[in-house]
Amino acid sequence: MSLKSERRGIHVDQSELLCKKGCGYYGNPAWQGFCSKCWREEYHKARQKQIQEDWELAERLQREEEEAYASSQGTQGAQSLTFSKFEEKKTNEKSRKVTTVKKFFGASSRAGTKKEVQEAKAPSPSIHRQASIETDRVSKEFIEFLKTYHKPGQEIYKQCKIFLDAMHHKRELSIEEQSECAQDFYQNVAEKLQIRWKVSPEKLEKAMDQIEKYIMTRLYKYVFCPETTEDEKKDLAVQKRIRALHWVTPQMLCVPVNEDIPEVSDMVVKAITDIIEMDSKRVPHDKLACITKCSNHIFNAIKITRNEPASADDFLQTLIYIVLKGNPPRLQSNIQYITRFCNPSRLMSGEDGYYFTNLCCAVAFIEKLDAQSLNLSNEDFDRYMSGQTSPKKQEPESWSPDVCIGVKQMYKNLDLLSQLNERQEIIVSEAKKLERDLIDWTDGIAKEVQDIVEKYPLEIKPKNPPLAAIDSENVENDRLPPPLQPQVYAG
Amino acid sequence: AGGGGGRSFSFKVVLLGEGCVGKTSLVLRYCENKFNDKHITTLQASFLTKKLNIGGKRVNLAIWDTAGQERFHALGPIYYRDSNGAILVYDITDEDSFQKVKNWVKELRKMLGNEICLCIVGNKIDLEKERHVSVQEAETYAESVGAKHYHTSAKQNKGIEELFLDLCKRMIETAQVDERARGNGSSQSGTARRGVQIIDDEPQVQSSGGCCSSG
Ligand SMILES: Nc1nc2c(ncn2[C@@H]2O[C@H](COP(=O)(O)OP(=O)(O)OP(=O)(O)O)[C@@H](O)[C@H]2O)c(=O)[nH]1
Ligand SMILES: [Mg+2]
Repeated sequence: MSLKSERRGIHVDQSELLCKKGCGYYGNPAWQGFCSKCWREEYHKARQKQIQEDWELAERLQREEEEAYASSQGTQGAQSLTFSKFEEKKTNEKSRKVTTVKKFFGASSRAGTKKEVQEAKAPSPSIHRQASIETDRVSKEFIEFLKTYHKPGQEIYKQCKIFLDAMHHKRELSIEEQSECAQDFYQNVAEKLQIRWKVSPEKLEKAMDQIEKYIMTRLYKYVFCPETTEDEKKDLAVQKRIRALHWVTPQMLCVPVNEDIPEVSDMVVKAITDIIEMDSKRVPHDKLACITKCSNHIFNAIKITRNEPASADDFLQTLIYIVLKGNPPRLQSNIQYITRFCNPSRLMSGEDGYYFTNLCCAVAFIEKLDAQSLNLSNEDFDRYMSGQTSPKKQEPESWSPDVCIGVKQMYKNLDLLSQLNERQEIIVSEAKKLERDLIDWTDGIAKEVQDIVEKYPLEIKPKNPPLAAIDSENVENDRLPPPLQPQVYAG
Repeated sequence: AGGGGGRSFSFKVVLLGEGCVGKTSLVLRYCENKFNDKHITTLQASFLTKKLNIGGKRVNLAIWDTAGQERFHALGPIYYRDSNGAILVYDITDEDSFQKVKNWVKELRKMLGNEICLCIVGNKIDLEKERHVSVQEAETYAESVGAKHYHTSAKQNKGIEELFLDLCKRMIETAQVDERARGNGSSQSGTARRGVQIIDDEPQVQSSGGCCSSG
């Protein structure tokens, strides 16, 4: 192998190519300079350490709980998770990760053999590092949070662990059944907290949020847009649909926001950003928070435009517009995921629930939208849908204000140019007319002169003969007395 | 009963009715005591909440306005699923708006059965002279479909407190009947998923009705 690199003429220090561990094999930057074998070992060690730390925390909580329980109850020993059970779960989690990695590599994963699984193992550490760091951070925060709840905190932790364990074995169930399990879990924990531990409503709500965060951070990758559902297909369909509706103007939707006002267009941009951001969150509650943020920006935009509180119609129309403009990724998957795995009390009657419901309405509206929904004739609608014409070209006044300022300026300039062109044409035609007039005038003059000339023809008389001959033609000369003759007088 | 054994309920109530019958005016009057206020500070009137204390029972009322334009009609079921109550508003000077209410009732009963508490509300009674819907007819109709009828004026603030108070009482009753039917104690999963949250809460949490929050 060393020969190979020399032959290629690349000079690399041998030590740089070798595994950092010094085992003699070659390392790979993808495995942080280790060879695949040593990397697996190193990674395993790090994982193991994490598991150990995690466990120690859990164990401490457990111990504290048992002590508290023992002191209050005397004999009854609290049932605890055994270490081996915990270990088993962790190992299972690891092998599960491998299968999800394979998911990324395409549909063939189902037919995967043992050998493929082995090969797929190699990239898993780097790909999953980010996600697992996040998961671990959430776990630590969760445990920290539960400490403030004392005894109920330990109870919650135990319940969550049992639930996650149970969910692991239910991976083969349909997503609806898994959702049912999660909903039952939320309900049971909530009931236990209220009835057995007498937790106040405020603390209950906080605890439920934290529980949701903890369990859903862990379940996300298995239950978001699962392969067993049509979710992905629906996502693509909605996305395509929204793209096909690019020509819809705010006027057609009667959107009560005026984007010519800079603050309003600012709000619109923020609302779009929020709704797009939803897809990046893992916890249903965080996704809901994005929808709520988006809604508040919408309300502000309406408020600035119209200075009155937004009604349900105003809000829905604007939300539809925002969704059409933003075309947020994986809309259906996100809606389904939230519906299936969000804490139900938040979704059913809370403010977040109201905005979420409106988002569902907006998507349903977009899916079914037809000519009547936009007050268009069927012919126009079909022409716009097929891309034959665009409403923008026909009525420049209704350009959607989303075109950027540069493009707007360009349209304005084009407008000016066409106006100039018109004026130029008028000038040219006037000039032509003037020219014609001039020609007519000269012609007229010429004709007049001609007429006059004809009327009064010019007779040019022959030139007078020389003086000597002056008399010759003078007829009357004959009648003249003969010229006086000179006379001589004698004197 | 005041004090002891304070329970807490969360209810979702949807507002339905034709445009301009006064839905928004009714809720704004109820939650913020405002009518056609030019200096309105409310950001939105589509989702409003009110906290009440009815005989020691705490009620969290969430009032959902619904988009009423004809083109949004098909979205109705998405709005009203899981609601505990519905307020169907018509304008007493507008016969058509009463017909619309009848359509809503049919649809709601079909989709949600008898679990939902229905209120039919004749609004704008300050315009009694222009009345086009007879009191007799409206009340008889309401009774025939198991709904309660109310007369209100958002303008003059008449009948609104009674409407909401009465509705809350009926919703509490329904929730309790529900609970008993399921056998006390650990209630079935359906309850929470329908948004009725029954909580044994500590007595210090909130002072009695009248306080309200929005947006
Ligand atoms: N005289 C009188 N006018 C009322 C009353 N309630 C509402 N109005 C008026 O009726 C008009 C419509 O009221 P809204 O509250 O906007 O009606 P809405 O049902 O919310 O209408 P949409 O949001 O369009 O569906 C407004 O001009 C109100 O001032 C009332 O009790 N008496
Ligand atoms: Mg309204």
